[in-house]
Amino acid sequence: MLPVLVVHGGAGFIPKERVQMSCAGVQAAVRGGYSKLQGQGSAMDAVVEAVTLLENDHHYNAGLGSVLNAKGEVEMDAIVMDGRYLASGAVSAVRKVANPVQLARLVMDKTSHLCLTGEGASQFARSMGVPEVPEESLITEYARMRWKKNLAADANPVECQMGKMGTVGAVAVDAEGNIACATSTGGMLNKMEGRVGDTACIGCGGYADNRVGAVSPTGEGEAIMKVTLARLILFHMEQGRSVEAAADEALAYMKDRVGGLGGVVVVDPQGEWSVRFSSLQMAWAAAQQQTLHYGLYTGEHFTQNIDDPY
Amino acid sequence: LLTFLSSPVIVVHCSAWAIPDDMAKASVDGVKSTATAGFLAMKRGGSALDAVELSVRALEDNPTFDADHGAVLNTNGEVELDSIIMDGRTLAAGAVSSVKTISNPVSLARAVMEKTDHIMLTDRGANMFAESVGIPAVPTNTLVTECERTEREKAKNYAVEVKEGHDTVGAVAVDCSGNVACATSTGGIRNKMVGSGGYADNLSWAVSCTCHGESILKVTLARLFHVEQGKRAPEAVEVSLRYMGDRVRGGGAILVSRTGEWAAKFTTERMAWAAVEREVLWYGLNPKEEFKETLRQ
Repeated sequence: MLPVLVVHGGAGFIPKERVQMSCAGVQAAVRGGYSKLQGQGSAMDAVVEAVTLLENDHHYNAGLGSVLNAKGEVEMDAIVMDGRYLASGAVSAVRKVANPVQLARLVMDKTSHLCLTGEGASQFARSMGVPEVPEESLITEYARMRWKKNLAADANPVECQMGKMGTVGAVAVDAEGNIACATSTGGMLNKMEGRVGDTACIGCGGYADNRVGAVSPTGEGEAIMKVTLARLILFHMEQGRSVEAAADEALAYMKDRVGGLGGVVVVDPQGEWSVRFSSLQMAWAAAQQQTLHYGLYTGEHFTQNIDDPY
Repeated sequence: LLTFLSSPVIVVHCSAWAIPDDMAKASVDGVKSTATAGFLAMKRGGSALDAVELSVRALEDNPTFDADHGAVLNTNGEVELDSIIMDGRTLAAGAVSSVKTISNPVSLARAVMEKTDHIMLTDRGANMFAESVGIPAVPTNTLVTECERTEREKAKNYAVEVKEGHDTVGAVAVDCSGNVACATSTGGIRNKMVGSGGYADNLSWAVSCTCHGESILKVTLARLFHVEQGKRAPEAVEVSLRYMGDRVRGGGAILVSRTGEWAAKFTTERMAWAAVEREVLWYGLNPKEEFKETLRQ
């Protein structure tokens, strides 16, 4: 049942007034990515396209619309991974680029390294002709408002965080059976300067292996890192668990062992996929064999023909 | 989960690569004295976390190894350091990447773990945090040896990155309470441009890895060992290194479990390593070597 693409827009709690746009955005992203797959594009092309569309959509915590760090600046993390050769590229704490997922792909394709950070990542972007954009162009009123609120002495940034604006990601298997993942985020609201979360860390914020599958997570970054969530789910799959059971077991472990909530999209080499989350909501959408699947709350699974209008 | 061990165990490594003969003795002496110091700290009641931090600090301060005072330079001629420390009891971790002008990045990583809500800080933010907790910046030229400056000049003539190079240092330990910890520190490979190195979990083991960083990342080497629960330590390491060798290329790793089992294995030409358990100091450099002596205190 190939090809297949699954996309998420962040796990947590989405306020009512933002629900519709959060759902619309992931559906548009999955359509955009899926059309790459239908046009003989690779799994990597599809996940990068889907995540690019979400970075450009100001309703998500990635690219435009990213949360602000303690200083009011935007520092972004992103990763891509290609399951064929375990190739990967990531950027961490990168500033003033519109599409960190594309920069991460350049790290993979054009360097012998897997991750570039901060100033070094910006230097690399310049050398690749990636334009620097003014920081203001990435900041929304909503992000600035949330940042100001969290500067208050009694604010609890970790609690306020949970996916009101989400990390974005995608996993895909193309017609040739190649597997890829991509994840992108502005990180944690009011985080310390230079804070890097799970997204840029291979095995945590994403992992893809043609032999096993791919995962893109979202949720409490530090918790995801402590259990290396993406790799953990794929271990369970290597040991024979299904795409749902592997994800559920790993998410339950993360909650139990380190008290963190999150969500994942998972795919296996046969095109089996799952969307699981321990938070209240996760906006997601998937495309496979002319069917569009989507949902928001636990247990929701709506479908329609992909050619039908939104 | 309460285990009481009759003896703490520590294993340290530096450099899984083709260590040249003129560095061999210094490398082996360095790991032996470091493992001894870490072991004695635990015997005096120190935790596994204290032991791995102090061991990696000693290795960072030793100019024979890349990790800090012998660090390789990036393409800007600067020293950029990465380090991780992890506590197997709670899975708490701290890491810094691309931090400059810090004498002991492992201690900065520990400060991230203990003084912030985060796990990892990078670049400028990491340096600012160091300042805020009173960890002094040191001039780059105290971190760069003459030897390295010469090597970099030579390497500049090659567009392709040099495959040799000093590498990474690390330590894993289990203390008398059965808590495991790991720490790893590196200056990376030469001429590199401007996760995976370690993992610790009381339920399984503590691991520290070395060799070509990108290869370790691709297979998340330190986390692979989780899969091998149920295997004895040496077999677990061998299986994981073989997997890495099959998929990408060779490396080295040290491992200790909460029950005190340990291993030090590598698929590169050499790796200087040392371990102490029950007053016995073990060490080696070449494949299959496992020398032992009674611990001198």
